[in-house]
Amino acid sequence: MDSDFCWNRDCIAQGECLNIHNDEKELLDLKEQRQLQKCIECDRLAADIARFQDSSNPLSPILSLLLSEYQRQKNQIQSLGNFLDTKTLEIRFLHELGYVLQSSVDLDEVLSVALTAITAGKGFGMNRAFLLLKDRETGLLNGYLGIGPRTLEEAGQVWNEISSKDMDLKSLAQNFRLNKLSSERAKFHDILEQLTIPISDTNHIIVKALASQHPVLIEDAFNNPDVPAELARLLGVDTFLLMPLISRTRRIGMIIADNFITHRRISDDDMRSLESFSFPVAFAIERAALYDKLQVELNRVTEAGKKLKEQQDLIVRMENMALVGRITSSIAHSVRNPLMVIGGFARSMLKNSSESDPRRTFIESIVAETRHLEGVLDEILNYSDSLYPTRDFWDVNQLIETALRDTSDLLTAEGYGTIYTPGDHIPPVYIDFKQLSYSLRTILQSDISGVGEDKTITITSENRESGVVLVVKDRSRNITQAELDHLLIPFSETRDLGAGLGLALCKTMLEKQGIPFLAIADEPEGIRYIITLPTHKEEQS
Amino acid sequence: MSRLLVVDDEANIRLLYAEELKDEGYEVETAASSAEAVEKLQLATFDLAILDIKLKNESGIELLQKLVKERHEMPVILCSAFSCYKDDFSAWLADGYVVKSGDLTELKQEISRVLAKKALKAK
Repeated sequence: MDSDFCWNRDCIAQGECLNIHNDEKELLDLKEQRQLQKCIECDRLAADIARFQDSSNPLSPILSLLLSEYQRQKNQIQSLGNFLDTKTLEIRFLHELGYVLQSSVDLDEVLSVALTAITAGKGFGMNRAFLLLKDRETGLLNGYLGIGPRTLEEAGQVWNEISSKDMDLKSLAQNFRLNKLSSERAKFHDILEQLTIPISDTNHIIVKALASQHPVLIEDAFNNPDVPAELARLLGVDTFLLMPLISRTRRIGMIIADNFITHRRISDDDMRSLESFSFPVAFAIERAALYDKLQVELNRVTEAGKKLKEQQDLIVRMENMALVGRITSSIAHSVRNPLMVIGGFARSMLKNSSESDPRRTFIESIVAETRHLEGVLDEILNYSDSLYPTRDFWDVNQLIETALRDTSDLLTAEGYGTIYTPGDHIPPVYIDFKQLSYSLRTILQSDISGVGEDKTITITSENRESGVVLVVKDRSRNITQAELDHLLIPFSETRDLGAGLGLALCKTMLEKQGIPFLAIADEPEGIRYIITLPTHKEEQS
Repeated sequence: MSRLLVVDDEANIRLLYAEELKDEGYEVETAASSAEAVEKLQLATFDLAILDIKLKNESGIELLQKLVKERHEMPVILCSAFSCYKDDFSAWLADGYVVKSGDLTELKQEISRVLAKKALKAK
């Protein structure tokens, strides 16, 4: 045999062997490695071995046997290597999936991860997946979420997008949850809506699969007697996988997966992989659902605690109110009655005394002082009343009409007219009626000292987002904003009557109820009072 | 001449009301308690009652409810030492409401208004 064949040389030149590529130059000088890696499969060596067999050498059969066994084992190792690589990727993927699933208690996030894993190329690579969740109360399996393309064109776009971004599972799931969850739900709305199956329908293929707790591969769906025709028509594929979601022994739901676009065969390996994946998914879904329920219960408990606290506060407030009520009642009677008697008899004496009576000046002083003290008493009692507002829902028109009726005599006597324009669809407002009524009366009465020609006070009500806005406009008074602000400071103004609380007390009362009160001096337009009444309890401060 | 019944536990106030209202031309009877008021109402007919909300150890509101129920034809004006009762539901049963004051002008106006309304109703 010619021993100068390339496979037998210690060194060969570059380009001499077509099987050795530019990045494998080291093999040119490494004979044994070159023989094992390259020559063993080279046609030249095969030709030499054939010639060797033809030479009837007794070693020829055993060489042939060894070579074929070497080739078989090499192929087997290669196959095992590929299998190992696949399993490593699978384990890595399941590890990543498990980590993401375990770290989330948000149902939408868990579902996003689960369905993304089923459909992502890096995951199980199915084209579409539908999730059905079991509703314990209604006993129904309901279509909850779908994922995947509906057309070949859409599939191309989605897959291009995914491959261009090269995202890991977590990023894909996050992207799905943030950008696609709602749109996918809407996209598959028609299918999801029809995927409602009573658990009691034990003959239904999906219920059967759920009861068996094992995945079921459906083939030839359109002709399969076990598959309802409407289900096959709804999915539009003849092969799909039913994967029950079981957490311990509890049936959580079902995933339906198919290759609607590529029609790739669903293998036994696919089924096994998906089955091992279904357990953590079911567990995570159940945990997230329980967490949701826990949150609801927690909110209920928190709400109950809040209400309890409110009740406690209310009891304390009522005790305080009762105390304040007793004190003010006592003051009212102890002070007002004697004042009334003194003032009343002084007026009576004044009425019956002649103009020349020298005591008349003294009696007039008594009348004036008792009137002043009555005013002070009124405001102090009103102030103490304002400390503890009692709120409820009241009709705005009733509030305004009551205030207008109560002040009409006084306003008419001063030459004032009032116009109330109620707004459309005014809802009830949450207020202390007494205090609001007092405030409106005070505002209306405070206006009567105006000097302008237009003695019309207009009131409007309007339903806005912030509440019902009352605007009282008085064009007869022209004062500066600084002067008006001064009136809103308690005891800043001492008039003939009262202690100077008037508008300041209104402001305090309203603020205590969390009701915004604005007094705007807008020369020459007069004064505008703007009160925004809450329509909900939550709007209270 | 209209007959008025004044119910107040303060003697001086009863006296003041009686003097002032007589000057206005009314015939005035007074009572110091609910029991006395009921007694007088059984003996005579009144055109109007003026009632203090807070009588000694009893509530004028209760008497008001009794009067509204049993003598609904007779209007009642409530007098109170505080204004806050004005917006109470129970006080709305009354035909008029006046905060006590040494100046009886408001009370007199209220009496005229309520009596005029009663007369109008009777027609």
